[in-house]
Amino acid sequence: MSAILSADDLNDFISPGVACIKPIETLPAERSTDSSNPYEVTTEDKAAASQPRAPAQISLTDCLACSGCVTSAEAVLVSLQSHNEVLTTLDAHPPLSLPWLEHDGTNGYSNGITHTSNGTTNGVNDYHTAEGRLFVASVSPQTRASLAAVFSVSEAEAGNMIAQLLGGPSGLRGGGLHGSDFTWVVDTNVLREACLVAAAEEVSQALTPSARTPTTGSEGALDTTPKQPILTSACPGWICYAEKTHPYILPHLSRLKSPQALTGTLIKSVLCQRFNIAPSQIWHVAIMPCFDKKLEASRSELTSSAWLPDHDLSQGSVRDVDCVITARELLHMAAARNIPFSSLPRTPIPSSQRTPFPDPRLDAFLFPPSRRKNQNPVAGPSGGYLYHILQTCQAQNPGSEISVSRGRNADVMEYSLVRGSETIIKMARFYGFRNIQNLVRRLKPSKISRLPGAKSGASRRPGASGAAGNEGAKDYAYVEVMACPGGCTNGGGQVKVQEVEDVRAAEGTHAVNGDAVISKPGPKEQKEWLARVDEAYFSGSDEESLDGDGDQVMTDNDGPTTNGHAKEDDIVNGISRSYIGDVLSHWSDLTGVDAQRLLYTSYRKVESDVGKKKQSDVERVAGLASSLGGGW
Amino acid sequence: MAPPPDAPSSTLRPLATLSPPSNSRAWQSAPHPSLPLVATACSDKTVRVYSLTSFTLVHSISGGHKRSIRSVSWKPGLKGQSVLATGSFDASAGIWRRHEGGEQEHDFTGAGRDEEDDEEAEDEDYQFSCILDGHESEIKSLQWSPSGQYLATCSRDKSVWIWEELEDDNFETVAVLQEHDGDVKCVAWHPEEDLLASASYDDTVRLYREDQDDWVQVGVIEGHGETVWWVEFEGSGMAQKDFRSRRDGLTEEQSQHVELLERSGPRLATCSDDKTVRLWRRTPKERSEQDSRSTGIPSVLRSFSIDEEWLEDAILPQQHERTVYSVSWSRKTGMIVSTGSDGRIIVYKERWRDPASNSVKTSVQNSEAMEGVGNSEAKAHTPSLTEWVVVAELFSAHDVFEVNHVCWAPRKDKGRRDDDEEVIVSTGDDGVVRVWVLD
Repeated sequence: MSAILSADDLNDFISPGVACIKPIETLPAERSTDSSNPYEVTTEDKAAASQPRAPAQISLTDCLACSGCVTSAEAVLVSLQSHNEVLTTLDAHPPLSLPWLEHDGTNGYSNGITHTSNGTTNGVNDYHTAEGRLFVASVSPQTRASLAAVFSVSEAEAGNMIAQLLGGPSGLRGGGLHGSDFTWVVDTNVLREACLVAAAEEVSQALTPSARTPTTGSEGALDTTPKQPILTSACPGWICYAEKTHPYILPHLSRLKSPQALTGTLIKSVLCQRFNIAPSQIWHVAIMPCFDKKLEASRSELTSSAWLPDHDLSQGSVRDVDCVITARELLHMAAARNIPFSSLPRTPIPSSQRTPFPDPRLDAFLFPPSRRKNQNPVAGPSGGYLYHILQTCQAQNPGSEISVSRGRNADVMEYSLVRGSETIIKMARFYGFRNIQNLVRRLKPSKISRLPGAKSGASRRPGASGAAGNEGAKDYAYVEVMACPGGCTNGGGQVKVQEVEDVRAAEGTHAVNGDAVISKPGPKEQKEWLARVDEAYFSGSDEESLDGDGDQVMTDNDGPTTNGHAKEDDIVNGISRSYIGDVLSHWSDLTGVDAQRLLYTSYRKVESDVGKKKQSDVERVAGLASSLGGGW
Repeated sequence: MAPPPDAPSSTLRPLATLSPPSNSRAWQSAPHPSLPLVATACSDKTVRVYSLTSFTLVHSISGGHKRSIRSVSWKPGLKGQSVLATGSFDASAGIWRRHEGGEQEHDFTGAGRDEEDDEEAEDEDYQFSCILDGHESEIKSLQWSPSGQYLATCSRDKSVWIWEELEDDNFETVAVLQEHDGDVKCVAWHPEEDLLASASYDDTVRLYREDQDDWVQVGVIEGHGETVWWVEFEGSGMAQKDFRSRRDGLTEEQSQHVELLERSGPRLATCSDDKTVRLWRRTPKERSEQDSRSTGIPSVLRSFSIDEEWLEDAILPQQHERTVYSVSWSRKTGMIVSTGSDGRIIVYKERWRDPASNSVKTSVQNSEAMEGVGNSEAKAHTPSLTEWVVVAELFSAHDVFEVNHVCWAPRKDKGRRDDDEEVIVSTGDDGVVRVWVLD
């Protein structure tokens, strides 16, 4: 799925939509202003010269509102969110001088303890010119793993190189009109931990009988608890597919934002509500393994209008994530600025050069002194949602064990929590489009899977109606769904096996002993390459707790122990629920926004309005075409 | 014995017109694997099942699809029931069942019969049992694998899907193959192996096979200059049935050729917008490779071993003036029949080339598409030992209408001359299905 949105390879999978009549629909009716006789014969040149038609334009909104072709959206998306866009934006805006630094150098609390909802009022620009931008980047661990495999470095080193490129002295700062670069480079693993804790809570809530399950009309609404089985919503390719083609899935989708979206909301909402920086003055780029993340960033649900309490519609809403680029595009961006990526320092930016986040508690949360490790391989390469939820359940059920069994292929795994002969909970992982097909088919309400009007023989043949399969999927409490086979480390934006040698050659680096990739890679080489990226992903080591100055950082300044006596099941896989809970409520307090509105989002059925209004016409044309020989 | 090659030796005689015909275009017909029936996909959203004994309509399957039914395929290897898969322009595939064998199959215990009493008349009908959706656009072709385990579908959305029936009516998607750059026109299974071929608007034929868990492309056939409309494998073990079965008096070269073909396995026939019908032959795997595999040395090379190389074996004599839509390979005689937009039906057969003759109308064999072939195939550059000749040709088979499909079926009417006799079934834009015999 993700590969269809590649900037470098516009290889349309879905042919330009037959149903897409947007350009025609939105064009103003052509008025025949000239008084010439309509019956008069005219020449081609005369007709051409008379009035050039305005070029038809399709906006991204049009395309996202249509379940027709994704391809038209591609071009728009790609131009809106590309490495060129990042460089253009850096060139267009000087760095924003940070108000809390200018005033007294302390961390921001001096300018207003009491919360004022002045996010959009005048006076926001007291401290700086309107052109200034605060540049923030967030980096996914899968991207780091991809680059780590390409350059034969550790995932931590790859992360340091990315941070050096985006915000280091030898990085982007050295070029461009204003020498702008990224003030903060956030590891999305930090917010992922918050997502994991919230995901586990969402599941446990859904399992309680009092849960407010979605009703007709509010299938994907923010304030409803999803139906069992809850399906992961962090994969934008999957969400896009579900919204367009399988709306009956929406009640099952986790309402939780993805780590990318949550990072965006956190940074913009806190800076806006607390530190007087308008969302439009913060420019947030996310570096992701996946092109479909660009689609996610474009969702109207993930903008400032979702959390600004007195949102003024006339001001327009600002996206929480302004731009998404992939690992490949990050390399293009470095190349465009003549920065050889492989030559970037592999050490972290020294903490002395770091701009702290103005709120000290969030600073400690966003930039933890020790790197957040990726989980172990059993958690999977896509954030480990399922595994964390399962481990949380396990912690609440002493004496239980997790059993893992492989499904039909490596991308289907079934997990269950068992104690003795009792199965406490069942979950599953479905990666890849073909497996998603099987999942959605099993979740389909049975009446839809009947051809309307056809005589059914099912009643005649009891036990053979496929009911067994239906029950199977509904038994799961949670299903981790990702569109890419092999999960997020295999995302469409990662450096592909056939590109590795090109990238290395361009960078002047060579394969390290036996690391060479065969020039014409087949499926086997692809698998081997993916295994190497996975290895990098899971290899996150603990040795990185030294910061760039070589100081051993005290790790307990705002750690999980803050709450004093933690409950026994509080820390799951190194993530403290109470600590995350504290941070989230602190965030909610800072912004004055209900935690639910910060953490959750909503989904909606996407219907093709292009086809709908003229349904009868389209059908008539299709019918006509098929009777006349169309469809061939 | 062989007649002059430029005068077809036989004629196609009309045996019957299946009645009543559909009053809208008919796309494709599929003979039942064991019963004397043929199912025809029609653009009026129905499948018409005709008897090949009486040549009349036995069943009309309707009410399921929202648009034209483009393709039908019978599930092979079933006893006591018939299962038909239908592929439609409404982007879905349907599975239909019917219990064969009539009254004795009925359940007279009364269980669950109450609501069916008034459906007595419909009891004999095909019952819709399952819908397979997932394609985003028109399904162009579908076919069951010979084992009945898999169903392949292909669509205008450029994808090929493989479904596996785990138990009755419980299908899983096992593969979504998106290798083609255009509308996929046809899918076909190898008669002996789980090897799938697909033909497309992108002018290529692609071959797929399962590698561990994943179906992957293992070969591409490039050679046609235009859309490839149909792809079909040769029957299994044809060397025992066609002209090659007579081994006495063969030269050493000819014997070697027969042996090579047997190692290659069934060949592949394709037809195209470029007006040609072409045959393709797989390059046999080197023996040494299997030896080395058993010693376990070149594990690095393993992935190459599932790749297949298919080379052009022959271009049949070019008798069509317009697009060739369909080609079918007789499982009994090895003869090939083709049809297309020009309304012609052409029958071809293969024979040993007479080294002395220099006939005009023989096929062009092994003449092109040989670049890049390894030295192991140097032999292929020499003129082929066999040639394809036109056995019969018929113009305007469906009057002025295009003929969309042609296939061989066993002859089942009273006039049949022997158990192995075959008929040719042609399906046209006029909605008519005609049956022809070769005299």
